[in-house]
Amino acid sequence: MGAPVSDPGGGLPAPGHGVYDDSQWASTGDLPPRSRGVIALLEENCTACMLCARECPDWCIYISSHKEPVPTEPSGAGRGRPRVRNALDRFAIDFSLCMYCGICVEVCPYDALFWAPDFSYAERDIAGLTHERAQLREWVGTVPPPPAIDPGTGGR
Amino acid sequence: MTPEALAAAARDRLPGARCESASGSVTLEVSPAGWRDALRCARDELDCDFFDWLTAVDEGERGFTVVVHVYSLAGRHHLLVRTQVSRSSPALASVTGIYRGADWHEREAHEMFGVVFDGHPNLAPLLLPEGFDGHPLRKDFVLAPRVDKEWPGGREPGEGEDRPARRRLRPPGIPEEWGPR
Repeated sequence: MGAPVSDPGGGLPAPGHGVYDDSQWASTGDLPPRSRGVIALLEENCTACMLCARECPDWCIYISSHKEPVPTEPSGAGRGRPRVRNALDRFAIDFSLCMYCGICVEVCPYDALFWAPDFSYAERDIAGLTHERAQLREWVGTVPPPPAIDPGTGGR
Repeated sequence: MTPEALAAAARDRLPGARCESASGSVTLEVSPAGWRDALRCARDELDCDFFDWLTAVDEGERGFTVVVHVYSLAGRHHLLVRTQVSRSSPALASVTGIYRGADWHEREAHEMFGVVFDGHPNLAPLLLPEGFDGHPLRKDFVLAPRVDKEWPGGREPGEGEDRPARRRLRPPGIPEEWGPR
């Protein structure tokens, strides 16, 4: 109580000062795998199939993409029709709407969405809670390895 | 008390109720007329002194289920008590005289589902702003954002913001007559 706020200019106080001190709370290292902190996007795996955006009950996933031709291999030139694939232009999750149900993570057939444990991404402006693809990609680095399979399951 | 013992005690004291015990939880289904008696019995005879929550479930044409969860601090057993009221006149006796903590829960169930709790001391809206029209947790309540927001899933794979969709996909669960799109 009464601790001086280090930055009266409006930015978040430095850690350990003021109301935003969260050092006493759990660090993400204490959390079990698949903790529902934030959703990470491995965009290399995303095919812009729209399944997550269509399943999302909160309508909080925004995807736009375009089709681009796949470069044909020299040996295969002239055979078959030209192939196209979807290239991602925008992938954003609005965490101000997200209810952390995880349906998008479950439904993704290409393993492009993951739960990451980070939870401290509060914003002063609600628009900041819409994480665009670059930010969603950064969360991938914090995704823990999946938990071990229970003994007696998953074996050959 | 074990769930089995609790279920047996409940059956013993409330012969008119339907009592189910499954997966460690006991559910007591009573008629609306027996609602207050069932909860008084739960508090006084089944030792469930802690009121946890009360809510309602929209069951469509079958009306609304009102559910209460109570707990025994000493015996560490818990009990779900539920009843069903009609859709045309969803009214039920208030249990605020038995569990004072039910006050706000009944106010919330009233504004969200339109269930009227007879005998409640002050059935005013709890969370909704004054003058709010409708009961938002009823399944037939039209969600305004579903009408005026474009469904993000309506876009086809490979489509950007600039190109309009060739065919408009209807969002799942949204009635046809809703909205401009």
